[in-house]
Amino acid sequence: MSSTINPLANPKGVKTLCELCQKPAKLQCTNCRVTYYCNPDHQQTDWTSIHEKVCPLLVSIHSPPPLHTLQADRERHHRETLKKQEQLIEIAHLEAQKWVSKKSFHHAIPAALLFLRWAMRLYGSHPVKLVPAYLLLAQANIGLDSMSQAREYLTKAEWAVMNTPDCNPTVHHQLHRSLGRLHAATGKYSSALFHFSNDVYYASEVFGLDSIVTFGGYFLMAEVFLKQNKPDVTRSLYTEVACFWHTHLCKLMEGISQSGIQAEDCFGDAQCVEVDQMLRCILEFEEQYQKPRSDQSALLVHSLAMLWLLCNNYTKALEYGKKAEVLIQGSSEQNSMRESIQNLLHYAEKHLQ
Amino acid sequence: MSSVVARNSRTLFPDIYNPQKQRRTSTFRKPLRQNICTGLLCAGFHRSFAQLFALLQRWEEAEAHPHKLETLQSFLARAETAERAGQYGEVYENHLCLARFFTESEDEWLKHHFFQLALQSARKLKIDSGKREAEANLHIGQIYFVKGQLELAQEHYEEFYHMTLGREWQDTSGRSHHECSCEELGRVYTLLAERLLQKQDCELSIKMLTKAYEMAKESGDSGPKGKAAYRLGLAYQSIGDHTTAKQFLGVYKDISTAREDMDNLGRAYGAIAKSLESSGKQTEAVQYLEKFAEISMSNKQDRNLEKAYTYLGSILNSRVQYDESYVYFKHAYEIACNMASVSRLQKAQVRVGTSHALSMLQAYYKHIEISRRHSIQKIIMWKEKRQDNFIEAM
Repeated sequence: MSSTINPLANPKGVKTLCELCQKPAKLQCTNCRVTYYCNPDHQQTDWTSIHEKVCPLLVSIHSPPPLHTLQADRERHHRETLKKQEQLIEIAHLEAQKWVSKKSFHHAIPAALLFLRWAMRLYGSHPVKLVPAYLLLAQANIGLDSMSQAREYLTKAEWAVMNTPDCNPTVHHQLHRSLGRLHAATGKYSSALFHFSNDVYYASEVFGLDSIVTFGGYFLMAEVFLKQNKPDVTRSLYTEVACFWHTHLCKLMEGISQSGIQAEDCFGDAQCVEVDQMLRCILEFEEQYQKPRSDQSALLVHSLAMLWLLCNNYTKALEYGKKAEVLIQGSSEQNSMRESIQNLLHYAEKHLQ
Repeated sequence: MSSVVARNSRTLFPDIYNPQKQRRTSTFRKPLRQNICTGLLCAGFHRSFAQLFALLQRWEEAEAHPHKLETLQSFLARAETAERAGQYGEVYENHLCLARFFTESEDEWLKHHFFQLALQSARKLKIDSGKREAEANLHIGQIYFVKGQLELAQEHYEEFYHMTLGREWQDTSGRSHHECSCEELGRVYTLLAERLLQKQDCELSIKMLTKAYEMAKESGDSGPKGKAAYRLGLAYQSIGDHTTAKQFLGVYKDISTAREDMDNLGRAYGAIAKSLESSGKQTEAVQYLEKFAEISMSNKQDRNLEKAYTYLGSILNSRVQYDESYVYFKHAYEIACNMASVSRLQKAQVRVGTSHALSMLQAYYKHIEISRRHSIQKIIMWKEKRQDNFIEAM
């Protein structure tokens, strides 16, 4: 898989650098022979992260062009090479996103770096297409706690966005969310709030006021307010988020019970885990608050039950459903919720058998 | 050397990573609506943000009115703080201030929106036993009235009426809420009745007018009561029920006499005369019409006078009293000469002519039948010089 190379043996002026750390390389990948590493650990990380999937593609990109006599043939070859490069960038982008959503950041970084380098080679150093790469790298670095690296990437992303006057609001929204996360992680709460509010504004413009993305922004803001010691604001934001998710999940449940389809495509695994974490965080806050409201807790537990049912985890759904039933006995109203909890319990029990 | 560079570096190189400066520059770079929205969110007012954002989606020229946006921001923030503290009275006041702030015609929809919000927040307020809810109903009713959606206005006014029944609430100018509700309801019912009349639905319109009359009676103010009675009387006349019409017109007449309102009194006499004539009591009708003419003359109201004379003339015509009717028509014609309307003048001319002719007709025929030299001379003289000697000794 790898063979050692001697840097001194390279032609004059040619420096072979490691893929990950950009130090002088001592190893070469034998499959494609265009990728270099400084030690076996880096090679292993890169292999698991991205190299396994793109090695053959790299070979075909770097192979010398065949001799074509016609200009048309040469142009066709050039176009095909471009297509392959774009394909490479796409694969790297998707892989990096997958690793980030699974929260394994050290795997995400090589993929994101490959994405960035090839995008720079193809599109130049400032256009907006590089911004997703920068954002992924920043997110991975925040996850790995290297804040200065993350800040560097985000500054570059900001500069790219500033240079394109008619940028898509989605890009603005993603950029501000990453910046908000960075500032929240470093403890600069007012800057974090500033960025999150811009994020929510852009997200509302693109996705509407009532969407998962906007409410994701609200949740992040609520956390910052909590750290700033403003529990009443946090509570009102958490209530909004909880209501939204409850309505959204109820709608999905109704859709399933009416059409009878399997609940497989509603949530991906990573999204399921994320939403579960969010709802449990809100529930914890609600329980520790000075004046706990039992109907709010019941709402949250019901939402958790529905979420796990939609992700096909029937044991957890049953567990949360029973808890919700207990909580709802306390409050006098909410007959429709009682009914839907009953339905949920029946459904889960049916599927467990 | 390095220290000099270090000292000057703050001025030589721009400080691109100072968050305060970054935020200040962004306030200039971004549009005002974005700054206001982010301002609300940073302060924690996410509901105000949601409301404002929804409004901005519908309102395209928001950028041109910065002071309006700023007012919206401040009042919405205050309303949200009050809502979080559970003080719905404060929320109501803030929404009301916002509704009153938008006075231009192009902002009518904003006014409407905030009055609706004020009603919703007033509904949540239980302490003052519904006074603010009643006021909110009044405001919304007024908005619908101005827009022309009379059914919705009626609904809200009726709610206002029911809430103020038996209560002693007063508004800022000291006027009782209940009186106000009666008046507004009366107006709505009258307009609805007019609409129904246009659609030829007489029964329903009479029901509406009766309701309007009840409201006017309850409010205690005799002016609207008289007018409502008059309209009811006219409506009953149009369907042919003259006894009830006379009853209501009698009420109208009494009120006008009590208020010494000559104009309305004259109209009352005229209308009563009409119903009397239709029910066959022509002498009485003539009496009333003479009273009408008297009043109009004393008030120098030429139009009414002309109407009175014309009407008298036509009644007398139908009773074959052509000489007297000719006199009245001549008076009417003289008045019509001074008025600006050509069609009226022409009609008056026709009437004068016909009544004069009818009054001379009998004598003329008699003369022709006699056909002696004396009478034929008279006829010729009339033809030549229009001298009317027929009624002399024959």
